[in-house]
Amino acid sequence: MTRLVVRDLRKRYGGIAALAGIALEIERPGIYGLIGPNGAGKTTLFDIIAGGIAPDSGEVLLDGRSVTGLPSHRMAALGVARTFQECRILLEETCLDNLLFAAQRKDFVATLGQFLSRSQAARRAQRAEAMRLLQLVRLEDYAEVPAANLSFGQRRLLEIVSTFITAPSLFLLDEPASGVNPALLETLSDFIRTMYAERPSVFFLVEHNMEFIMSLAGDIIVMHQGAVLERGTPQAVQASPRVVEAYLG
Amino acid sequence: MPRAVTGILLLALLAVLVAMPRIAAGEPYVLHVLVLCFVYAIPAVGLNLMLGYTGLVSLGHMAFAGIGAYAAAVMMVDARFGFWSSLALATLAAGAAGVAIGVVCLRFRSHFFMIVTLAFGLVLHSVMNNWDEVTRGAAGFGGIPRPSPIELLGERFSFAPLANFYYLALAAAVVVFALQRLVVRSDIGRVLAAIRQDERLARARGVNALLYKTAVFALGSAIAGFGGVLQVSFLRVAAPASFSLAESINSVLIVIVGGAGSLAGPALGALLFVALPEYLRVASEWRFVIFGVMLVAITLFAPRGLAGVAADLCRRIGGKPPVERP
Repeated sequence: MTRLVVRDLRKRYGGIAALAGIALEIERPGIYGLIGPNGAGKTTLFDIIAGGIAPDSGEVLLDGRSVTGLPSHRMAALGVARTFQECRILLEETCLDNLLFAAQRKDFVATLGQFLSRSQAARRAQRAEAMRLLQLVRLEDYAEVPAANLSFGQRRLLEIVSTFITAPSLFLLDEPASGVNPALLETLSDFIRTMYAERPSVFFLVEHNMEFIMSLAGDIIVMHQGAVLERGTPQAVQASPRVVEAYLG
Repeated sequence: MPRAVTGILLLALLAVLVAMPRIAAGEPYVLHVLVLCFVYAIPAVGLNLMLGYTGLVSLGHMAFAGIGAYAAAVMMVDARFGFWSSLALATLAAGAAGVAIGVVCLRFRSHFFMIVTLAFGLVLHSVMNNWDEVTRGAAGFGGIPRPSPIELLGERFSFAPLANFYYLALAAAVVVFALQRLVVRSDIGRVLAAIRQDERLARARGVNALLYKTAVFALGSAIAGFGGVLQVSFLRVAAPASFSLAESINSVLIVIVGGAGSLAGPALGALLFVALPEYLRVASEWRFVIFGVMLVAITLFAPRGLAGVAADLCRRIGGKPPVERP
């Protein structure tokens, strides 16, 4: 079980405080929504949790261990998987290869070992799992098609599905619904629910599509000016006057 | 192309190359040109792994071939080591130099990386050109022996005749191309391709990009060094000019024109850039002019190089549309 604790994180970009001492605790598996007006610091928070960017001060703890400022590949090894707001996939590779890349071991010694003795059984199992996940997001017909040929919405689905195949304990999804058309949106929320039911872990979603996030997440965290403004159930958050004020500015 | 067809074509090509000393029995020049082609294609394979598969454009690649060449020259001529142990040690030395210099260069990205590799290439070339006591300076390091004879099926196999050295160079090229295929088709190859396409994504997926890039820099440099040893053993002399900036850029051209990121690319590139001009005896002043024009034409009309053109042709013959790449 994953326990994510963020303590008094601060990060300034030039004169702007992206994070102004944010504190946050996520204690149990669940689907969590992170919302807030543009510039509230949501992506900065994700960037720091996922590694690669060091905060000016403060701490990130994963299962009680400080992971502040670790490089992103170390965070991935600790079970943190993320998607990007701008959607990152391997455009030249096929959908299947995108998933197989995500699923394969990455540490150098392990890949060197695979180079010397390749286990066919493990490969077949990975392939089968990749095909199953592609079916869940209705991309199975595109398995052998280069990802560059996908529509933007399909690219998003592929990106999300390739974070799931890494079997992480903490998912950070940065605006998964943006650019996804309404028909695919349903596929996407069904997929997230299916994955959560299959392996309950922490799903942490930054989202601007309120309808999407309110129906999916059980716990909504509202950020404003680099700090947590409100936290609660979708109903409670939507009824909060402070949240309404922040959004209407 | 189906795998079986590719396999049969490769075997046929190999058969022709093995029979070449008989086919071109009256024309030793053909073998000479082919050996040159092999000893240039081998370093190009190393560069293809870096540039074509990982996206690391090094402008100092042939300097690492020079490290291998001069290390072997010193070992064989001054330290009286045998050819085979010198070949192995010089390859390792070039790989070790790749680690040391790669760690520094890989701190930089894209065009900064290119400039730093170019600078290291110039420095190394300058050392080869001026360290008279060890490298014999601009005059070149002469007297490098051909490989010592080996016992093969109870018979003495000497590498003094051209045809026999040709077989050695062919075998070396086959080994290096096979190694390239093995690396590219492995999990390591997939990681390298991911680093080329989107390094930030690769890191987010758990790839220690600096470690992988250093490893491929070292492997590419070791392969270059291996080719360098063969080259100077063939020419019997190590000359600084063989490892200059112009040669490094030549190697980049071989890879790009042949088809960066394709397994056959370095062979096609070396055939076009080394074997063809050598065979046609094009004056060296004209070579870079012609290459320049060809490079512009290839980048405009065939961005995946000769290998890409060949692949599209095969697909068209098979009745399929050419592959579209972003």
